[in-house]
Amino acid sequence: MCLSSSIRWVIGLGIVGFLGSPTPAFSDADLAAGKDAYEANCARCHGPTGAGDGPDAKRMFPKPRKLAEGIFKFRTTASGTPPTDEDLFRTLSTGLPGSRMPDFQRLSEETRRNLIAYVKSLSPIFKDQAPEPIDLGKDPGPKEASLAKGKEVYAQLGCASCHGTAGRGNGPSAPTLVDSWGSPIRAANLTQGWNYRAGSGVKEIVARMMAGIDGTPMPSYADALSSKEDAWHLAYYVHSLQETPHWNRTIEAVKAAGSLPADPEDPKWQEAPRTDLRLSSTVYQQGEIQPTSVNAIGVQAVYNEDAVLFRLTWQDPNESREDPPDAVRLFLLQDRRLKFQVGSLRSWPAGPDAPALDVCSWSAKQDSAREAEQMLESNDSEITSGAASSSRSQDSYADGVWTLLIKRPLKSFHPGGVTLSTKKPFLFGAVVFDGGNGERDRRRANSNWVDLVLK
Amino acid sequence: MNTSRKIMLGFLFIILGMGIANPAFAAGATVSGKVSFEGAAPSREKIKMAADPVCLGAHKDPVLSEDLVVNNGALQNVVVYMKDGLSGKTFPAPTTPVVIDQAGCQYHPHVFGIQVGQPLEIRNSDATLHNINAQPKLNKRFNIAQPTKGMKTTKTFDKVEIPVPFKCNVHPWMAAHAVVLDHPFFGVTGENGSFTLNGLPAGTYTVEAWHEKLGTQTAQVTVADGETKTVNFSFKAK
Repeated sequence: MCLSSSIRWVIGLGIVGFLGSPTPAFSDADLAAGKDAYEANCARCHGPTGAGDGPDAKRMFPKPRKLAEGIFKFRTTASGTPPTDEDLFRTLSTGLPGSRMPDFQRLSEETRRNLIAYVKSLSPIFKDQAPEPIDLGKDPGPKEASLAKGKEVYAQLGCASCHGTAGRGNGPSAPTLVDSWGSPIRAANLTQGWNYRAGSGVKEIVARMMAGIDGTPMPSYADALSSKEDAWHLAYYVHSLQETPHWNRTIEAVKAAGSLPADPEDPKWQEAPRTDLRLSSTVYQQGEIQPTSVNAIGVQAVYNEDAVLFRLTWQDPNESREDPPDAVRLFLLQDRRLKFQVGSLRSWPAGPDAPALDVCSWSAKQDSAREAEQMLESNDSEITSGAASSSRSQDSYADGVWTLLIKRPLKSFHPGGVTLSTKKPFLFGAVVFDGGNGERDRRRANSNWVDLVLK
Repeated sequence: MNTSRKIMLGFLFIILGMGIANPAFAAGATVSGKVSFEGAAPSREKIKMAADPVCLGAHKDPVLSEDLVVNNGALQNVVVYMKDGLSGKTFPAPTTPVVIDQAGCQYHPHVFGIQVGQPLEIRNSDATLHNINAQPKLNKRFNIAQPTKGMKTTKTFDKVEIPVPFKCNVHPWMAAHAVVLDHPFFGVTGENGSFTLNGLPAGTYTVEAWHEKLGTQTAQVTVADGETKTVNFSFKAK
């Protein structure tokens, strides 16, 4: 072993620094630097004094944290106590998926530490109370963890009241949940690991469960568990509920050998690759965002000489067949270049000069194919720039999931409509309305344009 | 005097003796009265408990909202307490806990007074999940889960605060309110709207009556040792 003395010195200093002050005290200089960084990076959402009232705050859901109130969601500390510096550092460094909080990796670690010092100066809670870190116990590892036991604990602890039996955020109490400021809040959809705010790993799940998520309905289960082992079994079970999303920019329609699949459960669907599309919304009322609830839709497609059949699945916490009903529209564009003329689906229906869009519509209100076609007519009369394509659909709703088949002829029935072929990619887009969330017209979740390829 | 009377008298002396030892139970002065509601009593809403079959199954009759309860003009669930007049005096926190029970998906009691440092025992008597989400502004907040029947958790408050709201997010109709004081001179009006604060040191006080929807009212009263005075409050619909 042959280390130069200077390297030895650096390593030694590192160890001393680590042992001596795992949470370093901040000097006034740090605070001043933190204040500058806060004003440059944080104030536009969290507000100049941390009141959560920055100029962009109204345009966000979930809302930016009111840092000055000292209620922090993602902690490893007892309910009601402030987070540790490391908890804050984690949020700042990794961001919060499913919210508008980005990761601040672009700032140096030193700047991030200074920011934390400043954020802590905004609320008296950091002076009045010390963080009370929770002992999370020991990870038994995936081999020792019992999913069966975890499932039992899930039932015992009443997780399903809000998160639903299958974890889709559709439990009986979910529709009435409000946060500590009285605003509606959703129970986490546990099947969407990609949307967990502060990490979808087993350890993070244990931390959320033991510490609770302050300011939200999620309580601390630290005293409710009969053992720490149970927390880990449960966390492994919750982790197992996560479904892997198939994000892709292309939907591959596969050619059916023989007839098209007869129903959504037809084994032929196993041959069709699934593409998941992220959905988002930017609809404002008096500057305030109108949140939509469906955040992704899965698309599969099978075609034959006459028609293409789409199988769509998406999660919606409740089945709404009336006023307004759950609904979906699929859009096709003949040419990829049209994307730039048409623009984002968010702005549809666009002005009178925009190219007509080829639309397939479905609404949960219809309950037979015959009515479906009538609905299509009436829906499309509302669309100034839309051209309807004939389609037939089958739908079913079970435990938070819609499954829908929409059939569309390859050939357009309308002048200016899209005729699909294997010759080139087409553009595909989807919008989803959650009627239970009051979504209609422009209030809806929109996908980006993606390619549709008939293989 | 027969034996049983002697025993009774003996007990009386013991009780008096305890009273002298503990200033809170000294003979002292008494302030009592009645809280009334002026005008037509609003009808109480029926609570919809259908979301949780355990809650629904716990009641034969419809459960009515508790945020404004008037019985023949008497206002229930008002906390009456000494607001001013006790400064400089300290009162040790009782070790006997105040118990709040979750039964039939309602809090029992719906409102209560508690002393700083006095244990609050939170019980779940329902076979369903409750979360107890306490949202004080001055005291330490907490939001804890009680998923099983028979579970008990003890909490304390370390600052005077009026009120500390409690809610259950699982059952959004569930609400309770605590009035946290640094002395034992408080009472909550029952069905007949009356309250009694006894064992008071002689002095001049500001008495306050707090109601969760109707706000507060105050009155001044001066009592001498051994004296009883009446203070009545009257609230109007807001």
